[in-house]
Amino acid sequence: MNSKNTAAIAILVALSIGTNYALVGIYNVKLMDLITFVSGFVFGPFVGVFVGVFSWAIYGVLNPYGFVLQIWVATMFSEAVYGVAGGLLHMVNTNFNGKSFWHVVFLGNLGFLLTLVYDLITNIAYAHVLGQDVLIAMVIGAPFTLTHELSNALLFGICFIPLTTTLKIMGVYSIANIRK
Amino acid sequence: MRILENKWALVSITILCWSIAATFSTGYFYYQYLGLIERTKGTPIHINLGLNYGNGTIRWFNNTEATGGMTLLNVTLLVAEVNYTIWPGMGAFVDSIANIENAYPFYWMWWTWTSYSGWVEGPVACDKYVVANGETLYWYYENTTISPLPPPPP
Repeated sequence: MNSKNTAAIAILVALSIGTNYALVGIYNVKLMDLITFVSGFVFGPFVGVFVGVFSWAIYGVLNPYGFVLQIWVATMFSEAVYGVAGGLLHMVNTNFNGKSFWHVVFLGNLGFLLTLVYDLITNIAYAHVLGQDVLIAMVIGAPFTLTHELSNALLFGICFIPLTTTLKIMGVYSIANIRK
Repeated sequence: MRILENKWALVSITILCWSIAATFSTGYFYYQYLGLIERTKGTPIHINLGLNYGNGTIRWFNNTEATGGMTLLNVTLLVAEVNYTIWPGMGAFVDSIANIENAYPFYWMWWTWTSYSGWVEGPVACDKYVVANGETLYWYYENTTISPLPPPPP
């Protein structure tokens, strides 16, 4: 990994945490998941996991909504799902250079389903902490879950291609440099 | 990647996501509905209930006092003698009201008055329908072989 990539990863982690604090007033609409996913796509699944876990490690401890150890651990490792998925998407040599409507649909759906997995894991942790039934916890939390899933579907669908294209134009990554 | 070339697969995934979102929404609102029923249970409400015996006799029980959470069956039992059978998974089927029994093709059907569409046929079994304050409901002993069912007379 070259210095340019290392700097880019540090910036992505900072951006991820910074945008989370900036959007603290808008509940469950966050750019962190997209940034983690892009990190995985650009630099591979391990870096994606690192960005996700490290972002939550900091944001979770200094969380404006409070700190609960079990939920913090669950969110930290669930966030890694985005990084892994981004990395796996890159590994199958997907070409998103075009401006196809179907690429947007695919990425939007992927954002929705990955967020569903994330929310399932965190809801299970939440229910465990509060001693609640998992199903009840999920039903009560549905407005928050849906806001998270639908916002991520829009963000993944609309922002992923411009973001990765910009990184490529800036020379932050190229397929050949990823393993260096 | 193959899935990106298969538009039907993408459409299917979109429908899957939509159905998941719809399921969550339904679950949430059903839970809220149950909570609301529970919270309003016991508050006094007033119902207008009509009984049409099918022979020209119509009896109105206006401002019948009931309590929140009561079903149409509960309210009907307050004003008349009702015989009914509980069908598992379906609800209560009224066999007779005021000793007037179902006899093919005449059966007891229930209707509710709506501001948007006038009389509307009861959508569920009478023991599944939770009545609201000020609602007007109507039991009509009518010929069920006529389609669509004739609404209560004005």
